[in-house]
Amino acid sequence: MIEVERLSKRFGPVTAVDDLSFTVRPGRVTGFLGPNGAGKTTTMRIILGLAAPTSGRALVGGRRYDGLIRPLREVGSLLDATALHAGRTGWAHLWSIAQANGIARPRVTEVLRLAGLESVARRRVGGFSLGMKQRLGIAAALLGDPPVLMFDEPVNGLDPEGIHWIRGFFRELAADGRTVLVSSHLMSEMAQTADHLVIIGRGRLLADVPTAELIESSARRDVLVRSPRAAELAALIEARGGTVTRQDDGALVVTGLDAAAIGDLAAGDGIAVHALIPRQASLEDAYLDLTGESTDYRGRLQ
Amino acid sequence: MSAPSPASPSLATRALDLLGSEWTKFRSVRSTYWSLLVAVVTPVAVSAVVAFAFAHTPGTSPPLDPLLPGVISLEYAVIAVSVLGVLAFSAEYSSGLIQVTFTAAPRRRAVLAAKAVVLAAVTLAAGEVVAFVSFGLVQAILAGTRQGVSLGRPGVPGAVLAAGLLLCVCALLGLALGAIIRHTAGGIAATIAVILVPGILLLLPAPWNGWIGRFTLLEAAHQVSTLHPAADLFSPGWSLLVLLAWPAAGLAAAALVITRRDA
Repeated sequence: MIEVERLSKRFGPVTAVDDLSFTVRPGRVTGFLGPNGAGKTTTMRIILGLAAPTSGRALVGGRRYDGLIRPLREVGSLLDATALHAGRTGWAHLWSIAQANGIARPRVTEVLRLAGLESVARRRVGGFSLGMKQRLGIAAALLGDPPVLMFDEPVNGLDPEGIHWIRGFFRELAADGRTVLVSSHLMSEMAQTADHLVIIGRGRLLADVPTAELIESSARRDVLVRSPRAAELAALIEARGGTVTRQDDGALVVTGLDAAAIGDLAAGDGIAVHALIPRQASLEDAYLDLTGESTDYRGRLQ
Repeated sequence: MSAPSPASPSLATRALDLLGSEWTKFRSVRSTYWSLLVAVVTPVAVSAVVAFAFAHTPGTSPPLDPLLPGVISLEYAVIAVSVLGVLAFSAEYSSGLIQVTFTAAPRRRAVLAAKAVVLAAVTLAAGEVVAFVSFGLVQAILAGTRQGVSLGRPGVPGAVLAAGLLLCVCALLGLALGAIIRHTAGGIAATIAVILVPGILLLLPAPWNGWIGRFTLLEAAHQVSTLHPAADLFSPGWSLLVLLAWPAAGLAAAALVITRRDA
């Protein structure tokens, strides 16, 4: 269990984390979601005792991280997979971490096998691909067989096979009863991996919901209609109880009537229809709706 | 799931765990071996050259200190061991590995202490090897000119032993400045500056040069490893304290800042 309580972190005039509170529970994968710069990494660094909060606190298993005697047996984490000494072998990297926590040598071999890295363990990590470095970082997180695991953007740099592997892996860890927190800036990624979502923007909590619930609430449906006699058709639809909004390009967006009903209505009056497109808002849209106001670096193309 | 943690490990166990971890890190990168090779081979070679020059210098008055070639040559290892010391932290800070280190061992001062012990042990051993090998080589070269001394002469073993301290002192100073500055190039530049720049002040007229010189690292190192201590500096005993105070002060400053800044 990870408890974040009224956490704030300011860097000079910039507030990276702003009065943030949430709890990550065991037995499920919790997605930690937000646009770039939302404060995800800063929050994780505070949980791990690497950065000091300006106010508030973060507890792991009821204790502050820097109070843990053998921290890797309580919390496994991966913040930056490329944070390695290029000249060290994968084995030496893991062994040095294991020794600091009184973890025995066979466990190093075991996590290398779990991560699928046995064959390259004696090679210098400078020659590793980003995907191999991610696997090495995950192996390091597993060294202490910890009940709590945290991963910052673990999917970055993985190939499709690796992404498939890591998703299954997170689910297994959660099914074991562990607490699993995985950050990402991609909703599509989290929708497929996480059971629960903690969404932040500009350091503030935007949502703390089960993934299924967010999908449900985002199930907004409408129909896009194009017709040369749009105004007449719009009147007909409204007479039947539909709601019409007109787009700038003349297209109609209809809610309250489905595509079949609209098509029949048009045919009944001999109105030509050039497009009749049922649409469903994606989870991505729901996420953008949530975070739209809080994106730091928005594209300005339009 | 992990088994319930066994009873909290003793402080000694935890210290040994951290030392083992830092020892593994130290010996698993090539820069360690290159730095040590340069730190050992360069001064031994330099001592032979200086001794050869001494042997062919017409008699001076007072006679040259037969330990001087060995003492001078050790200064040629200063840069190599300083780099070794600086890298212990700066390499981790610049790669981001420091986050892994501090999540595995959140007590940062314990990490600093473990790195210091590993580095001190290795550079002390290397320094003493260099000091005694150079001594043997220098005296063998000087033997023909009757300028040499034997290890049995009073004061000589202590002086040679003290000369070997220089590498360890510079390495620890480098470690401290690497932890404070957190950049490799900056750390090396600062360490070299702290060790060498005060030497400029020796150009000041007397008695200023003596007053200031007695506090400089290299003058203190000379004073503890010579058979003819300079009159205007501290006694060898006090100079030894000055020599050790430099890395001690650096490590104390590092211990202060290391817990105050975000990693």
